Amino acid sequence: MEFLATLTTLLLLFSLLLICKYYYLKIHSHCYLIDYACFKPASDRQITTQTSGEIIERNKTLGLSEYKFLLKVIVNSGIGEETYGPRNIIEGREDSPTFDDAMLEMDEFLNVSVGDLFAKTKISPSDVDVLVLNISMFSPAPSLTSRIVQRHKMREDVKTYNLSGMGCSASLISVDLVRNIFKSGKKTLALVVTSESISPNWYSGNDKSMMLGNCLFRSGGCVMLLTNNPSMRARAKLSLKCLVRTHIGGNDDAYNCAIQKEDDVGRVGFHLSKGLPKAAVRAFAENLQHLAPKILPYRELALYMYRSIKQLIVKPKDASNSAMARINFKSRVDHFCLHTGGSAVIDAVGRALGLSKYDVEPARMTLHRWGNTSASSLWYVLGYMEAKRRLRKGDRVLMISFGAGFKCNSCLWEVNADLRDADVWEDCIKNYPPQTLVNPYLEKYGWVNEDTEETFNRAQRMESLRR
Amino acid sequence: MPAQPLPDFSTSVRLKYVKLGYQYLVNHFLTLLLIPMIATCVLELVRRGPEELISVYNSLDLDVIHILCSSFVIIFVLTVYYMSRPRPVYLVDYACFKPAPSCRVPFATFMEHTSMICEDPKSVQFQTRILERSGLGEETCLPPANHYIPPNPTMEAARAEAQLVIFSAIDDLIKKTGLQPKHIDILVVNCSLFSPTPSLSAMIVNKYKLRSNIKSFNLSGMGCSAGLLSIDLARDLLQVLPGSNALVISTEIITPNFYKGNRRDMLLPNCLFRMGAAAILLSNRRRDATRAKYRLLHVVRTHKGADDRAYRCVYQEEDSDGHCGISLSKDLMAIAGDALKSNITTIGPLVLPMSEQLLFFFTLVGRKLINPTLRPYIPDFKQAFEHFCIHAGGRAVIDELQKSLQLSAEHVEASRMTLHRFGNTSSSSLWYELNYIESKGRMKRGDRVWQIGFGSGFKCNSAVWKCLRTVKTPVDGPWAECIHRYPVDIPEIVKL
Repeated sequence: MEFLATLTTLLLLFSLLLICKYYYLKIHSHCYLIDYACFKPASDRQITTQTSGEIIERNKTLGLSEYKFLLKVIVNSGIGEETYGPRNIIEGREDSPTFDDAMLEMDEFLNVSVGDLFAKTKISPSDVDVLVLNISMFSPAPSLTSRIVQRHKMREDVKTYNLSGMGCSASLISVDLVRNIFKSGKKTLALVVTSESISPNWYSGNDKSMMLGNCLFRSGGCVMLLTNNPSMRARAKLSLKCLVRTHIGGNDDAYNCAIQKEDDVGRVGFHLSKGLPKAAVRAFAENLQHLAPKILPYRELALYMYRSIKQLIVKPKDASNSAMARINFKSRVDHFCLHTGGSAVIDAVGRALGLSKYDVEPARMTLHRWGNTSASSLWYVLGYMEAKRRLRKGDRVLMISFGAGFKCNSCLWEVNADLRDADVWEDCIKNYPPQTLVNPYLEKYGWVNEDTEETFNRAQRMESLRR
Repeated sequence: MPAQPLPDFSTSVRLKYVKLGYQYLVNHFLTLLLIPMIATCVLELVRRGPEELISVYNSLDLDVIHILCSSFVIIFVLTVYYMSRPRPVYLVDYACFKPAPSCRVPFATFMEHTSMICEDPKSVQFQTRILERSGLGEETCLPPANHYIPPNPTMEAARAEAQLVIFSAIDDLIKKTGLQPKHIDILVVNCSLFSPTPSLSAMIVNKYKLRSNIKSFNLSGMGCSAGLLSIDLARDLLQVLPGSNALVISTEIITPNFYKGNRRDMLLPNCLFRMGAAAILLSNRRRDATRAKYRLLHVVRTHKGADDRAYRCVYQEEDSDGHCGISLSKDLMAIAGDALKSNITTIGPLVLPMSEQLLFFFTLVGRKLINPTLRPYIPDFKQAFEHFCIHAGGRAVIDELQKSLQLSAEHVEASRMTLHRFGNTSSSSLWYELNYIESKGRMKRGDRVWQIGFGSGFKCNSAVWKCLRTVKTPVDGPWAECIHRYPVDIPEIVKL
C-alpha cells in the first residue's frame, strides 16, 4: 500500500513539475522592447528644395509634363525641407551608383545606431542571441547581419537572419520573427535592425510611375533591442500584445501594384501603379478583420455585429464599407503609428479608422521631418509621440504598415512606463506642429503650373532657379 | 626474418578487436546492466511460484477506487508528459529542380563563350585551368540569360530564372506529396544573390495563391549555408505553431551575378556556380509522421563573423573597373576547417555515441593535465552517421573535409558526384546530394544523415536527420535518368 502511495505521490510531483515548466514557458514567451534608437544622418545629407531642383535638372530625359507631375507629387507629398538622402545622390552621382556608395550608406547607419543603442541600454553585443535585419533593396554577400557580427564581435552561436525584398512593412515582419523565436521559452535577447537602401535604387528615366519612388523615399533607420526575459521587463519601454500579418499577394493586381522592374528602355525602377490604393484598402480591411477580435473588448465587437446585421436588414446594398468605418478602435487604442507612405496614405487610413487630427499628427509630422523612410518610419512616429510626452504607462499603441507584395502588417504595443526620451526629435520637437503649412516647393517651382509646352523654355527656367 | 611482419599484423588485429569491444561495452552499457537484473527478477518470480504471487496480490487490498485513481494518475501524467515534449519536425518530402538539357554548359561551350566575352587572354587561361581542376562534369547547367554572348543579366531575366527553377521544384513537390497550396502555413525562401522587391516569397504567394495569413520570410545574402539556416527558422516556427507545415525553398539565381572583369579571385564563381533549386516540405503534424521521410534531430549554427579574416573570405565588392563580383580569398580552406571545428564542438556531444565522447573527454583531460603533447582525438563521426552530405562548394572543400573527418571515398561520393553532375548549386546542393544517396538505394530506415553547409559570413551550419522509412528505388528526381552512370571516376585534371 505504501508502495502505491509513494508511486502516486512521485507521479503527481512529476506532473506538477511539468505544469511548472509549462507555466515557465508561458511567462517567457512575452516580447518586450527594451529600447530603440532611430538614425539621424549627418546634416550635410539634407535634401532641400534647392537640392531637389538640382537633382531634377540633372535628369535630361524629363520634359515639361514630367516636371508638372513631379511638382504635383512633391507638393502633395507633405515632405519638408529637412529630410535626408544618400551621399551619391546629393553629390550628383545618382545615375551611376557604385557598390561602395550603397555600402557607405549602410555603414553610416550601422556604425552609428547599433553602437549608440548598446551604449544607451548598457548591454554588451556579446549578449545578443538573435540578430534580424531587414533592408529591402540592398543585399550584399556576406549579409549585412554578418557585417554587424564582425563589427561588434558577436558570439559564434548568434542566430542571424537577413530579410530582404520584403518592402516597407518589413520591420513588423522582423518583430514577428523574433516574437516566434521568443515563444520557445529560452531567455533570448534579440537585436532588430531596420532600414532602407536608397543609393543604388535611384530611377534615372522618365516613367512617371517609377519617379514616385525617387520623390518619396528618404534615408533613415532604426535599431531596437527585444527580449523575453521577464527580469528585464522593468526597464523595457513597451510590451507586445499582438501582431497580425496579412499578405494578399495571391491577387495579381495586388502583387503587381508595387514592383521593382525595368522600364521600356531597360532602366530599373520601383513601379507604383494606380491600383495601389485599392490593394492597400483590401489588405487593410483584411488585416483589421483579424486584428479587431484580438484587441477590441467584447462589447465593441458585439456592437459592431449588431450594427452590421441591422445594416444588412435595412440597407443590404452597401453594408460592408460603412459598417467597417463604425468599428471604434479608439475605444481600446490610445495612439496610432501609421506608416508614412505619403500624405494620401495617412489621410486614407485616418479616415478609415475615424481618427482625429491629433491622432494623425505624429505620422504627418514624421513625414514632414523625415520623409518616407520605408520600414523604419513607424519608429520615427513612435519617437515623435515619445518626444511629445504623449506615451503614458498603460497606453496602447497600434502600429500599421503597408508594403510591396502586397502586405499589411499591424501590431499592438502596451507602454510600460511614462516615456520621455526625445532621441532624434530632440532638436526640432519644439517646432512641431509647424504654424504654417505653405509648401516651399510650391513657392519655388510654382511656375510649372503656369507654363505650357510652347512657353516652356528649359534653359531659361533652370537659369532662373540657380539665381 | 620472414616471421617478423607477423607480430605487427596480429597486434593491430588485437587492437581492432579491443576497440570494437570497448565501443560495444560503453554504448550498450545500460542494456548490459539491465539484462542480468531482469534475469534475476524473472528467476526469483519463477522460484516463488504462482500461489505466492496471488497471495501477495490479495494482501494489497485493492478495490475499484484505488485502481481507478491509480490508472487516472498514470494516464494524466502520461498525457502531460507527451504534451510537454517538443514537437518533432518531419521532412515529408523534397524535390529538386531538374534542368533541361538545353541549358547544359559543356566545357567546350564554356570555353568558347569565355574566350568571346573576356578580352584578357590571361583570364581565359585562368578560367580554363580552374575548370580543368574543378571536378565539374559536362552536364552542369546555366540559366538561359547566361547563354547569350555576352550574358544578358536584366532583372526580367533574373525573375524568369527564379520562376523557372522555383516553380518547377514546387510543382514536383506538389505532385509527390499531394500538398495543397492553401494549406501551407509557413514559407521560407533563401536566395543569396538576387533579392527583388516584392520578394521571391511574394512571387510564390502570387503564383500559388497562398493564404493571406501565411508567415513568409525571405532571406538573402546569407551564402551557401542559407539552406540549413532556413530549415532552422522553419523549425523554430513549427515549434510554436501547432499542426502546421512549412515550405522551404533554397536556391541561387545565377543570372545577375556573372562577373565581367578580370580579377582572378572573382572569376572563380563564374566557373563553379550553376543553376539549381530545392523545395522542402516540413511538418509537425502527427499524421505526417507515417508518411514522412526524415525527422529533424538537430540544427547547429556557427558564425565566425567576429573574426575579420573569416568575414572577408567570401566578399562581394567592386573591382577597379567597377565590375561587381564575389572574391574568394586564399585562406578559404583554413577558415572553413576552423568553422567546422567550432561546429563539431557543439554537435559532437549531441550526436556521438558515449564511447567516442568518453575517449574524447579522456584525451582532453590527458592533454590538459598530464601531457600537452598528446595528439587531440578526432572523434569518429562515422559511428554517429551513416551518410554525409557535404556542401559541394568545390573539389578542395570536399577533399579538406574528407581529410579532417577521416571519411572514406564512399562517404563523400554523394558530394563529389553532385559537384560533377550539377556543379555548385549553392544552398540547394545538399538536397541534390541527399537525392543521390536515395537514388542509389542506400537510404534505409533508421539511417542518420549529416548535412554540412558552408557560406559567406563565414558560417558553418549542420543539420542531422534520421530516416523514418526505407526509400525504395527507382527514385523520381533529378538523378532519375543518369544515376545508373554514377559513380564516375573524376580525374584530377581534365585536359581541355
